[in-house]
Amino acid sequence: MNSWEYSESIESDSIVSIQSKYGHYYDGGFTSPKSKEYLKTVSPSSEEVLSSISIGNEKDVDAAVNSAKEGFKVWSKTKPIERAKYLYKLARLIQERSREFAVLESLDGGKPIKESRDFDLPQVAANFFYFAGWADKLDISWGTKEMKPYGVVGQIIPWNFPLLMLAWKVAPALATGNTVVLKPAETTPLSALLFAELCDEVGLPKGVFNLVTGDGSTGSHLVNHEGVSKIAFTGSTSVGKYIQNATADRDIGLTLELGGKAANIIYNDAAIDQAVEGVVNGIFFNQGHVCCAGSRLLLQEDIHDEFINKLEKRMQTLRVGNPLDKNTDIGAINSKEQLQKITSLVNEGVKDGGQLFQIECELPTKGFWYRPSLFTNVQPSYNIAREEIFGPVLTTLTFRTPEEAVEIANNTEYGLSAGIWTDKGSKILWTADRLDAGVVWANTFNKFDPSSPFGGYKESGFGREGGRHGLLSYLKVKS
Amino acid sequence: MTEIKKTYKNYVGGSYVRSESGKTFTVELKNQNYELPLTSKKDLRDAVTSSKKGYESWNKLTEYNRTQILYRLSEMIEGNKESYIELLQEHGLTKAAATKDVDNAIDTVVWYAGLADKWEQVTGNLNPVAGDYFNISHQEPIGVVFTLNSSDVSIDKTIRSFLPAMTVGCSVISFSENNSVISLKLAEDVNNSDLPEGTLNFLAGDFSKIIDDVSRHVEVNALALYGKLNKENLKTINENASTSVKRVFNLPSEEGLSSVLPFIETKTVWHPKGR
Repeated sequence: MNSWEYSESIESDSIVSIQSKYGHYYDGGFTSPKSKEYLKTVSPSSEEVLSSISIGNEKDVDAAVNSAKEGFKVWSKTKPIERAKYLYKLARLIQERSREFAVLESLDGGKPIKESRDFDLPQVAANFFYFAGWADKLDISWGTKEMKPYGVVGQIIPWNFPLLMLAWKVAPALATGNTVVLKPAETTPLSALLFAELCDEVGLPKGVFNLVTGDGSTGSHLVNHEGVSKIAFTGSTSVGKYIQNATADRDIGLTLELGGKAANIIYNDAAIDQAVEGVVNGIFFNQGHVCCAGSRLLLQEDIHDEFINKLEKRMQTLRVGNPLDKNTDIGAINSKEQLQKITSLVNEGVKDGGQLFQIECELPTKGFWYRPSLFTNVQPSYNIAREEIFGPVLTTLTFRTPEEAVEIANNTEYGLSAGIWTDKGSKILWTADRLDAGVVWANTFNKFDPSSPFGGYKESGFGREGGRHGLLSYLKVKS
Repeated sequence: MTEIKKTYKNYVGGSYVRSESGKTFTVELKNQNYELPLTSKKDLRDAVTSSKKGYESWNKLTEYNRTQILYRLSEMIEGNKESYIELLQEHGLTKAAATKDVDNAIDTVVWYAGLADKWEQVTGNLNPVAGDYFNISHQEPIGVVFTLNSSDVSIDKTIRSFLPAMTVGCSVISFSENNSVISLKLAEDVNNSDLPEGTLNFLAGDFSKIIDDVSRHVEVNALALYGKLNKENLKTINENASTSVKRVFNLPSEEGLSSVLPFIETKTVWHPKGR
């Protein structure tokens, strides 16, 4: 079926050196865990154990928070322009070592090297550059000088864009004068650990950046630590609700960037071929492990058959396999648990009556993989049309009028992102105005930039990351 | 001649209403006591329904129109200035303090009225993304906002508890306890200011009686607590709010640009540039 054969083009992993065991990073250095407990991080594409990372318990978290408190004493007195320079230096170092980071990211997380190399890493560096420049301009950012950092910020990030989520969180937090205790995801800690080494290298004052690895229990200790004045979380809506609940009796800053079930609306006057590309990018980028993925395809009824036909053909050209192969479009599913979740939701969709198309391709024998999948003949009440699958699975719904498209698009608790495809400018603006979504992509999808605010409406969370608005997530503002 | 006394009622959907429960509570002032409606859970739900409609109506108006309506409110208060001063004195303020408070209140309304058609120019912006894209952060109101009025006896404070949200296009349910007579009197001038029905509703009562319902109500998009709450009540609110990721703002800013920021959602729209 696949008309093109490719020769393998494997990016060498010799550029990375992974230690067999990692401690936490605080007080300006790596320390063995007080818990004396470790967990293994595996490569989802080979199931090979890459390293052992420390599980942070209450004492580990406490030590890291204390380090951040000490760090804040220095950092809050550091001249803004000096803070900026540290961040610029970090940006430069990331650029210099970007290939190493990219390979590490693909090994540990399973994402295709073309994405970690051409998307994640350039964006990581760009975020540090962007926020570095704000550090000494906070007084003009919102027209008031009375803005204060929170102090110690606890940050919990997901496994889908490990280093990029670190950058989204750490760069603005440090630029605004906060210090950080970061807890990376259980399955993808390695790039954050390498980042800690960079902080040493640029001479960041000790205690400014702190890292505690571990699992959900570690995150919970961080959330519940009284010394943390602000929590920034990216992850599932259920964990976000847990955090909001757990911090209910504290005077604490909170921003949540949670799940999504974005509608990608295709009007019948759209440029169809471009829209097909956009839809493919919208759902299959990063194996669909994207909170803002365009996971609900909304097709205007009269173009349904033509569009699905073209989409299935295009999907069949996607190459699934070794993340380190430069030709790979779809890498490994991040973990066994995630694979099970995707599989079970898809099975449920079939049982409900959805018509499933999956591409024909060989899957590697080891590792966690899922074929790019498309559901048609779906009712809005099916779970596949409501729940975030967080995998390479697209669900199709149809509409007749723009009003109906908006109604279906908004018929969800989520409100993170949305897509609109039409050649008519007024229809874009009309639709964009009515969508409950923090990010709207018109005639494009999944575009990101450090200067562009990102974040959700409704149960997709609150607060923005990126842009001038992103500063507000880390500052207490008074007029 | 027998002096007659005004009956104060909740103000919901453009009407003055008693509590469906028939219950009241007493506010004791210097010379008069007032029996005010003790808002029930059902009253709250009715107010939310009204505010949902009010949100639609308020947002159908142009910002220019909203500016004029809010300015009209300042004209109304100015016209009834003496009666407000008297009422504040009844609450125990000196004449000088009462006069100052009413003057401040008028200035506050004028300030927010003028912001209604400008705030987005200050809070929104184009974003210089690296690529050929038009990218704009457009600003939208958060929706239906429930506000708990500060317990300070002040018209200015009362106004500052609902105008920031309204200025950016939210509809507001303003809840007062000890200073309910002030807010329910204010409802009369609101009623005369051409605000669409339901845009601003006033409720009186005991907040602890509705705390659970309002923080759980999924059609209330945000809670802004200008009145101080004890830790336990705050905990209840935040716990309930977490079930639908509801926004809760405890003691938000009451002046300047920062006062409106909590009530804004940022929507960022991308479009490619090309020929």
